[in-house]
Amino acid sequence: MKRKLLCILLATVMTASMLCGCGGETAESTSEATEATEATEATEETESIGAQIEVDEEALTDVAVEGDYSDADLTVFIFAQDHEKAVYQSLIDKFMEETGANVTFEVTTSDEYGQKLLAYKAADDMPDIFYVGPEAVASNVDDGYLLPLDDYVDAAVVNNLWGSVGNAYRYDGKTAGTGEGSLYCLPKDFSTFAFAYNKNIFDEAGVAYPDPENPYTWDEFVEVCQKLTKDTDGDGEVDQWGTANALQWALDAFIYTNGGHFLNDDYTEVVIDGQEEFIEAFQFFADLTCKYGVTPTVEQDTALGGYQRWLDGQIGFYACGTWDVGAFMDKNTFPYEWGLCAWPTGKTGVSMTRNGSVGFAVSADSEYPEAAAALITLFSTDLEGQRVLSGETTGASLQIPNIMDYAKGDFKDRIADGTIPYGDNVDVIFNYIEGTDKYQGIFVETTYTYNSDWWNAFLSGGYEYVLNGEMTAAEYCAQVQPAMQEALDAANEMKAAAAN
Amino acid sequence: MGRVKSKKKVKLSAMSKREEKWALLFVAAPTLGFLLFMAWPIVFAFLTSLTTWNGAKGFEGMLNRFCGFDNYIKLLTDKKFWQTLTTTVIYLIGIPIGMILGLLFAMGMNRKIPGVRVLRTMYYVPVISSLVAVSILWAWVYNYDYGLLNVIIKALTGKHGPNWLGDENLIKVSMIIFMVWKGLGTSIILYLAGLQNIPRSYYEAAMVDGANGWQRFKNITLPLLSPVTFYILITSMIGGFQVFVEVQVMTTNGGIGYSAATIVYYLYEKAFESFQLGYASAIAIILAIIIFVITFINFKMQDKWVKTIE
Repeated sequence: MKRKLLCILLATVMTASMLCGCGGETAESTSEATEATEATEATEETESIGAQIEVDEEALTDVAVEGDYSDADLTVFIFAQDHEKAVYQSLIDKFMEETGANVTFEVTTSDEYGQKLLAYKAADDMPDIFYVGPEAVASNVDDGYLLPLDDYVDAAVVNNLWGSVGNAYRYDGKTAGTGEGSLYCLPKDFSTFAFAYNKNIFDEAGVAYPDPENPYTWDEFVEVCQKLTKDTDGDGEVDQWGTANALQWALDAFIYTNGGHFLNDDYTEVVIDGQEEFIEAFQFFADLTCKYGVTPTVEQDTALGGYQRWLDGQIGFYACGTWDVGAFMDKNTFPYEWGLCAWPTGKTGVSMTRNGSVGFAVSADSEYPEAAAALITLFSTDLEGQRVLSGETTGASLQIPNIMDYAKGDFKDRIADGTIPYGDNVDVIFNYIEGTDKYQGIFVETTYTYNSDWWNAFLSGGYEYVLNGEMTAAEYCAQVQPAMQEALDAANEMKAAAAN
Repeated sequence: MGRVKSKKKVKLSAMSKREEKWALLFVAAPTLGFLLFMAWPIVFAFLTSLTTWNGAKGFEGMLNRFCGFDNYIKLLTDKKFWQTLTTTVIYLIGIPIGMILGLLFAMGMNRKIPGVRVLRTMYYVPVISSLVAVSILWAWVYNYDYGLLNVIIKALTGKHGPNWLGDENLIKVSMIIFMVWKGLGTSIILYLAGLQNIPRSYYEAAMVDGANGWQRFKNITLPLLSPVTFYILITSMIGGFQVFVEVQVMTTNGGIGYSAATIVYYLYEKAFESFQLGYASAIAIILAIIIFVITFINFKMQDKWVKTIE
């Protein structure tokens, strides 16, 4: 009997592992496909544009590196697209040449990065330099992975970074991102998720372009969208819409401008149930679809996402990340004229959107912290490298320069004289990054919690029923809040466990 | 039991001894592989399931986060766990459907009809195709506006077809149809081999006795195919509990209201998106136990219905 049981057990394990093996293999390759279905639609297209960009390595000859790190042996582990990889590779080559250090450069895709880094952590064998986003600074510091950079990076370098991105990488052991405490990363980039409009559609409808100085109110926005929504080929079905934004990326722009928020001030409680500002904003977002009909329906959206429809010229307003500019300026990808504008404003009267960033961190266990810090300074702030990435030498802008002087000076001039192709009103981007009385870019609340599970709970609760009008925003918030709270509690428990 | 055990040891010649040593060496390779790549990971997963480990600080970091059976207790009240487990079980409906269809097709293809080889190959193509590729393909088949299915429905009825992947119930039906399609080739090939192994003389004898087609099928074909049925049942159930790729590729966030998410999908999310490796390992252990119990029951029950030619 026992032997038979053992046989069955072994047979099960072997069959399961056999099947598991098949699954595992495909799972990795799945990630690329997932990206197509998931809402990172935007980056995907940029990737293909990025692949076409050729980097002139000769342009990166004036690299200024000082110091002798001939005994240093560094490992760099990041995710990058081909053109970024080329930029960082040439910076590494120069660094090795100038300092005598040896650098091993390992690059992966953004999809696989998290898992691979986890493997490094589990093996307790961290690379000297790796990417950390603002949302992961606290957990990484708590777990003892990050080296404070205060003693290794010049104040001048830090002062020339965008203020809010510098703050995002500071952590005082309690709350990340407030600007207090040590600096743990230098930014790879600083992005914002601005709003764009298709000028051709406006021209055809005879509607005046949006004025970046005076963001629309929600009512005005609906009115304009209604003028842009129409059946262009006369077959009785609407085929052009005012706007079409995936909730997971765009909802923030409505919630925050209305004074709403997901969590309480110390990020311990989910507070959406019964919160007027939040519910009003969420309902307005849904009404664009189910009441005003100025976006594709939920069904139409599952058939073809907003990003593809925008590229196809079916959409009046669409989100535009700083990384999208290269793609939107490429006539093969987007054969329309376009400009940047503000997201419409709610109760606060300030147009808001999410900012984003990823940063270079140095491992706390690195044997060569000085060399590693020198190399990330080069990555983050080398002028020639920034010229390539922001599009001055390639003609395809994928990020705003990290160096403030250059961004506000040469970079803007090159946009003005046409060297860097860009949509109209680049100031919109700068406004969101720097913040003005009418514009504010912010890091969303997931940045300050241990993980994003509470937000995922919001997304997996069936919000589509609100968008198609089967449920109100208020009902949904009441229904989904307990699951979100549970996830947030678990995250805070993990944070507490890590801190101990 | 009544056997007399011989305690007398047979003395081996020097050559036999040497051979025995070699034999041990040959056995050592798979044993070592098993211990290293199966037994240890299982033990490791179990240990991890007793912690709140997030992957940090290696093995030591894991041991520092010991939490007893907390993860298992939490699982009992975890709605998503039960929801995904239920969905996974619902998907298993595809197994009997696939087996019946597989048998029907196999019997059809067991005849000498022109082009049967081409047909057999065609039905096997999905099996050898990349799961990711065919999942993407089927996501398009199910597409609300442009999908093949809805285009056909519109042509036939004049009405727009349903939102296959955007409805909590239909998405499950869609996934089951896809999985049946994907697995059909395997059942067909196995049943075909099983059918060809049944001696013709059985059928001839039955015909002499006056048995009609249905009686021959019921009393000869079906019982003698039972080992194949058993094999397909066991492997598909184990595979069925581990469905992941289809959900990952064909749905966004596990489908509307998490309606398409399977237990492995949930496990993956916990482990590699929330980095709750301890919790995810607890799910894995529970899943392994479920699979083991079901397989065990299947093996126990086989005496009742699995027949062999001998």
